[in-house]
Amino acid sequence: MKPVYFLCILLLSSTATAQIRLTGRVLDQKGRTLPGANVFLKGTYDGGNTDSTGTFRFTTVRNDTATLLVSYIGYEPFSQKITLGSSTPLIIRLQEAANELNTVVITAGSFEASDEKRMTMLKPMDIVTTAGANADITAAMNLLPGTQRVGEQTGLFVRGGSGEEAKVVIDGMIVQNPYFSSMPDVQSRGRFQPFMFKGTSFSTGGYSAQYGQALSSVLLLNTTDKPQNEGLGLSVNLANTGLSYDHTSDKSSISATGYYGNLKPLFALVRQNIDWTQVPEFAGTSLTYRLQPSKTGMLKFYGMYSASQLGMNFIDPSSNAGKTAFKQRNNNFFTTSTYTDSWADSRWLLYSGLSYSYDTDATTFDAYDFGRSSERLQGRAVLTRLLPNNNTLLFGTEASRVTLRNTVMGTRYALNDNYAALFVESQTYLGRNLAIQLGLRGEYSSVINRFNLAPRLSMAYKTGLYSQISLAYGQFYQTPDYRYLYLNRSLTYERADHLILNYQIIKNKRTFRIETFYKNYAELVREFTGQPYDANPYRFPIGQTNNSGNGYAQGFDMFWRDQKTIKGLDYWITYSYVDSKRLFQQFTVSATPTFISSHNISLIGKRYFEKISTNLGLTYTISSGRPYYNPTNETFLADRTPMVNNLSFSASHITRINKNLVVLYASVDNILNTHNVYTYRYTPDNKTRYAVGPQSYRSFFVGGVIMLSRKANVNVNEL
Amino acid sequence: MKTLIILVITTLGIVAPVWAQSDQYKQAMSQAIGSLQTQTMQTSTADLQAVANQFERIASVETKEWLPRYYAGLMYVYLGFTGKDEAAKDKYLDQADANLKAAEALSPNNDELAVLKAYIAQSRMVVDPMNRWQQYGPLAQAGIEKAKSLNAANPRPYVLEGTSLMYTPEQFGGGPTTACPVLKQAAEKFATFKPANDLSPNWGQKQIEPLLAKCK
Repeated sequence: MKPVYFLCILLLSSTATAQIRLTGRVLDQKGRTLPGANVFLKGTYDGGNTDSTGTFRFTTVRNDTATLLVSYIGYEPFSQKITLGSSTPLIIRLQEAANELNTVVITAGSFEASDEKRMTMLKPMDIVTTAGANADITAAMNLLPGTQRVGEQTGLFVRGGSGEEAKVVIDGMIVQNPYFSSMPDVQSRGRFQPFMFKGTSFSTGGYSAQYGQALSSVLLLNTTDKPQNEGLGLSVNLANTGLSYDHTSDKSSISATGYYGNLKPLFALVRQNIDWTQVPEFAGTSLTYRLQPSKTGMLKFYGMYSASQLGMNFIDPSSNAGKTAFKQRNNNFFTTSTYTDSWADSRWLLYSGLSYSYDTDATTFDAYDFGRSSERLQGRAVLTRLLPNNNTLLFGTEASRVTLRNTVMGTRYALNDNYAALFVESQTYLGRNLAIQLGLRGEYSSVINRFNLAPRLSMAYKTGLYSQISLAYGQFYQTPDYRYLYLNRSLTYERADHLILNYQIIKNKRTFRIETFYKNYAELVREFTGQPYDANPYRFPIGQTNNSGNGYAQGFDMFWRDQKTIKGLDYWITYSYVDSKRLFQQFTVSATPTFISSHNISLIGKRYFEKISTNLGLTYTISSGRPYYNPTNETFLADRTPMVNNLSFSASHITRINKNLVVLYASVDNILNTHNVYTYRYTPDNKTRYAVGPQSYRSFFVGGVIMLSRKANVNVNEL
Repeated sequence: MKTLIILVITTLGIVAPVWAQSDQYKQAMSQAIGSLQTQTMQTSTADLQAVANQFERIASVETKEWLPRYYAGLMYVYLGFTGKDEAAKDKYLDQADANLKAAEALSPNNDELAVLKAYIAQSRMVVDPMNRWQQYGPLAQAGIEKAKSLNAANPRPYVLEGTSLMYTPEQFGGGPTTACPVLKQAAEKFATFKPANDLSPNWGQKQIEPLLAKCK
């Protein structure tokens, strides 16, 4: 009997436990109600949801103390020890969690295209789909604010900077030869396919201490972690045919490409302004391998090789015939491998990389040997520590060995530069509205045997839910152009100081951004020839040189993008203004350099027509005239070329042939057939002026891609 | 006798809470799954959130069970469809991802979790198909393939694949011609599919009915 009695007591006592009622409200920091919050006692099933007034009520059998947990999407989780039995309703205030909308981001000087970050002005696909860019990354960047278009030269000309002042960086590694070899007065394309990259960040100044050796700009390209296709693909267009293969398995993936190109068919159809003696012919191959050895680690290898040859008679006012024969054979090899990993719940991040490139040009002007080669070996390691509240601390180092060789009319020049850099950078959030990034970079270059120390600072303040202002300041050093170093190793770094102020608002698929800048140039290399100014762009500097040059660039640029107002239409407008003068190179007085156009405007529109599965795009660009050297004008570089404008169109269409996916594309460049002039040159007697213009005026291009694997998918936006 | 009774009592005392908890778990899960099953396209965001919360509460107690996390993740996928704008949708899907991650830690190589992963990726893509295709398309496909390889009898990877194909334009390799064979495979698998127990995932059959009607 006793045990039974005991058992009854046990049962009774549990059923007799009083139920305690809990009530209260859940609010945000401003006192607004949060409906749908989850409120419960830790380790129990007891809990409830808040209603439309933010009120919760539930019962529990616990009668002592408990931990109350409150969670609400987008807010920091809340936890509090409470004593049960008190009848006063609980008031709980939640703190909003940091997210891309409510946390400031440092943006001064940078223009980013990323899929991973949601608050960017561009998506990687925008680079490819823009008419007039011809799927060339550099050409697409030239449509962004802060750039000046220089039709006859290769490279990025950013805010008064020359092409040499901008560096292209792939996965942290400086690329020695990012463009195909330059030809006289013809702009060369970039060597890399836009599809290789998942993210692009184009800095127009004030960039991070992680990078150096660029006075005006860095273009940061990050390769994809996964191929998007599977199987074989075949592409054919007016210039080349190519084959690609992608395969992804559980922990690794491989991509391989090969192509052969010959511009004969294109030149047969599009009238050339150039007297080609050998039509450009090129072939290349690339291989990418990615491996995930562990959950957090990622190893990437990329290697490519290409060869090309061409010949032309280019207009040369300085030769008696008025033309000079130019021949070039290029071989290029580039490889880079990176390993990234993280530890301790991603609190420690490691990035490391190694790259090697070799590039050689067998070049002749008339019969003279102007051959050149370059070799670059680079290593880099960066360790990042993530601290609470999104704060970070980063340490890194990089080192490179560059060997350059040039032959100038039979004379051989060579140099080796061993370069090393150390950098540290911290990012600190003072609340969600203010962020400060402080960096310091130290560099050493053996060729000039000098050190430099460059501080960098950026900050951003959130002015509203969708808007913010940013500021950036930094000192930037660059080892002087190798052509000067061949003859003079006592030169020092050229230097630029940037000050940038930026305002942007991104709201409802519309973006407005304005940025103003001041750049001071110091220690620029000057050359003293004792001769009148020589406008020949291929001249080799032979005069005395020193670092007594200086200059400035100032201006502002604007960007407006609207994907909302007209349904289906996406358009953007950029305007850049720059005012710049320099005393450098052979200049005897301070003047605006020939690569500067004060006003650059681009209008870009695109629309996808779903019914006919066709994407159409139009791009219109205007660049104001640039200075050119007129020997008959007493004022140096006082003359201006006429305005350059270009209207281009592109279309792509997707279809299926035999169940295989097919993409067809067509583009027209310079629809209006404008006879643009990039610059003028004079004969040695100063009597005749030659115009230098584009390779062709109105031109068109057609091509297609067929995926031979039926599993293949293609994004309409990649067309 | 006394010792025996004490033994019985103590045994009960030890075991009973376990039983009770297990029953409590089953009961709470059945109730929550019940409310999940009554959801329709018209169900309000608040009601969806309430069910998601219910699963998350269960998950916080039953730290060894993957199912509450799985269902919470699934609820946040549904909530993702209700979001007013891209940011709101992504917020829900972030929460779906958080639950998926917790579930995967408890049960690696689970076909239903691979399905959920694919479902989340598909939902991410739908938020902004033009720009997200490249990133989430392969991710969704990878989840579907993984689920198929882990359990060939599971109809749900076919549900996701077929549904997605049905809404993909023909020129991109979608439309009824490619979707219908996959949907029919799903239907065949539903005919023989037996969930492991009452609480196991068993959705998808109703979803594909209107799509199958378009297949002739």
